[in-house]
Amino acid sequence: MLSQAIDTLVLLLAGGVGSRLNVLVQTRAKPAVPFAGIYRIIDFALSNVMNSGLTQVGVLTQYKPLSLMRHIGTGAAWDLSGRSRGVKILPPRTGAKDSDWYKGTADAVRQNLDFIAAHPSREILLLSGDHIYQMDFDAMIQFHRAKKAELTIGMMVVPESEIHQFGAGIANSEGRIIDWEEKPKKARTNLASMGIYIFDTEYLVSLLVENRDEADFGMHLIPRAIARDNVFAYPFTGYWRDVGTIQAYWEANMDVLRDDSDIAPEAWGIRPNPEADHRHLADRCPARFITGSEVRRSLVAAGCVIKGSVVNSILSPGVVVEAGARVRDSIILDDCLIDKNAVVDLAILDKRVRVAPGAVVGSGSGKAVANRLYPKHLYTGITLVGKEAVVPAGMVVGRNCIVQPCRQAGDFPKSAVEDGGTV
Amino acid sequence: MTLMKPRTLAMILAGGRVDELNVLTYYRPKSAVPFGGFARVIDFPLSNLMHAGLERVAILSQYRSYSLINHIGIGAAWDMLGRHRGISILPPFKGSGKSQWYKGTADAVFQNLDFVQHHTPEEVLIISGDHIYQMDYRQIIAYHRAKDADLTIAFLPMPLDRAHRFGVAELDDEDGELGGRVLRYEEKPAKPEHSWASLTVFCFKPQVLYDVLAANARDDHSHEFGRDIIPRLLREGRKLYGFKFRGYWGYTRTIDEYWQTNMDLLGPAPRIRLEEWGIRTNLEHRGIRDCQPLKVGPAAVIQDSLVYNGCVVEGRVEHSILFPGVHVKPGAVVKDSVLFFNNVVEADAGLFKVVSDVNTLFGAGSVVGGSAAGLRQEVTVVGWNNQIPAGTVIGAGCTIYPHLPPGRLPKEVKTGEVVQC
Repeated sequence: MLSQAIDTLVLLLAGGVGSRLNVLVQTRAKPAVPFAGIYRIIDFALSNVMNSGLTQVGVLTQYKPLSLMRHIGTGAAWDLSGRSRGVKILPPRTGAKDSDWYKGTADAVRQNLDFIAAHPSREILLLSGDHIYQMDFDAMIQFHRAKKAELTIGMMVVPESEIHQFGAGIANSEGRIIDWEEKPKKARTNLASMGIYIFDTEYLVSLLVENRDEADFGMHLIPRAIARDNVFAYPFTGYWRDVGTIQAYWEANMDVLRDDSDIAPEAWGIRPNPEADHRHLADRCPARFITGSEVRRSLVAAGCVIKGSVVNSILSPGVVVEAGARVRDSIILDDCLIDKNAVVDLAILDKRVRVAPGAVVGSGSGKAVANRLYPKHLYTGITLVGKEAVVPAGMVVGRNCIVQPCRQAGDFPKSAVEDGGTV
Repeated sequence: MTLMKPRTLAMILAGGRVDELNVLTYYRPKSAVPFGGFARVIDFPLSNLMHAGLERVAILSQYRSYSLINHIGIGAAWDMLGRHRGISILPPFKGSGKSQWYKGTADAVFQNLDFVQHHTPEEVLIISGDHIYQMDYRQIIAYHRAKDADLTIAFLPMPLDRAHRFGVAELDDEDGELGGRVLRYEEKPAKPEHSWASLTVFCFKPQVLYDVLAANARDDHSHEFGRDIIPRLLREGRKLYGFKFRGYWGYTRTIDEYWQTNMDLLGPAPRIRLEEWGIRTNLEHRGIRDCQPLKVGPAAVIQDSLVYNGCVVEGRVEHSILFPGVHVKPGAVVKDSVLFFNNVVEADAGLFKVVSDVNTLFGAGSVVGGSAAGLRQEVTVVGWNNQIPAGTVIGAGCTIYPHLPPGRLPKEVKTGEVVQC
């Protein structure tokens, strides 16, 4: 029988600011932050949706959505374009009533009840676009149905020392969640929520309309549901990272380089959207390695030209490493130029940065000197350079530094940016 | 107002097999042979057309056209999808009357004259899909219009001792370096007397094309542009001009030429400037858009090479070209070689001056292509979907046929041997 109803509707929360990613999110939302050379963070969630056979997606955006909207495009990159397939961008909007910015995750979904009604479904899969992982949502949907749950939450075991960052659940022997604490100060469990929820559609709608003041799932709706109804934990054991901090972002990128790595975007079936980039991947030639270059334990995307040395680093499309230049332990985004004899050590360079001849980005042993403006963002030694900045010839930039986007020679101090400094 | 309708219709001759390319063209036409580490030969003329804004294109295909049709897709990779933009593939077809295979390049166009006339072009640009070069076709079209020529042909200077493989012409210096009248033309003469070689780039006045093809179909037994059409037009006293081209032109009709043209992509100052030419390919074909960036292992060495996304290099790669999905394992050496999509070189294997077609596995410790003896040895070519057992030794200048059954390959293949199914 032909039916209008789809089994599971996907709602992807992609509105978060992700402010701890600092200059990387000055012009883009966190899900649109580039990852592992040719991907963006949201490609992982969207590809998991595609590979699980799900076909209708709403993407809830709020913060700096342009780069994200361009990236998602028609959705064809994730096979979400066709007669019964689609991806819709759902920004906040004004209407006869309920017109406001999204005040929280639950509020964002509540403001889109019309979208949910327009796409009749049995369940709703609620995801975040912020995470690096591979997961079969279809298996989770089958689990949800087998348990006859009203709500199923994807959960994984984390070290007790990290549980304070997560929603924490206590499950009984059947997997039913019997107690819940949002970001607990003191650990009573090591079972953490991954921010992946399957709701029976009718149940979600009733939860949302019962109390119109509740803005957040983790803080309000989930505890209420656990106290009252059938809520199950779906156990996940694979690789999963929230790359919401500079340190976590750097580590997850470096994980891709390791031989014994659990993370393999291509083998996981993760698809980028090459059409949406500033320069189409089709306009990139194979990476060119010149005699005398040295490249070890690195990812090198198409369009790169390597004359110097690259160790333990990620080079996005179009990066040029000139003769005598050295790149180590770094993430270099699209079309950066590391000019002759320049050094980039333990740094993240946003797109189209130029490091002029002989300049050093990431110098010295002051890895413990936290950034003075953002001590909670940069404290492990990583230096950040914003989009299109030019580090002048001979300049020495220390550890935990920030060079804001588009900075030019005149914006820098005379010869050096000290550890923890900001340009 | 032109209503934006394109004035020029481009037709690409892409039907040929080219026997000398041997196992590389057993399953695909010459124009679909991989080239440049990610692309196919036909991507060069297609990209030239795209950059020239000539986006109303027809492709004449006949031999094993599946690979080519798959590669062209909807044409969007070259921006040839829109109201007045498109690629039409024109295979041989059955009509209500007598119908037949294309009997030559001229016959292929003749059988599709209704298609050409339907587009009412102001000029028809007919080019080969088999060559590696970069050319701004707008220049030859502008010259053709300025001279009000019946046919304008692109020529490049060729040493006389190599000219016998081409159509060669004598041109006058009517327009100096730019071009001149075609005074004489000979197709593949045994003893060439003129040194302007045809690139198979023809710009025709449409009515002249229609008339000469009809006369050729009526009167002649051979139906090739070079052998038949150009001499006929000269006999008729038509206005034929030569446009002088002086750039790089890769004529890859033998395995050796094909290998050499690949090597022209490498070195400190490559003769083929891939990045500047703006070569585009269809990333949907073979799913290469799904490839992750090249992963370089902790002990890898890569020198003077081109490597595309989807490769994993853990061994040593020198002066070579790796297409997407090639895996070179620890201890393996790949030198002076071209490895097509998804080749796997197992640990400690050595490849020296090898061209290997897609999906071939070189077992651990196998040595293929003789040794590191140097560039003077002959190319060894390996057909697709082969499993070379561990420890096998294959000499220089060998030919291994595609998809050999298990056990067919001896433990040792001597220099110059051919192993068939």
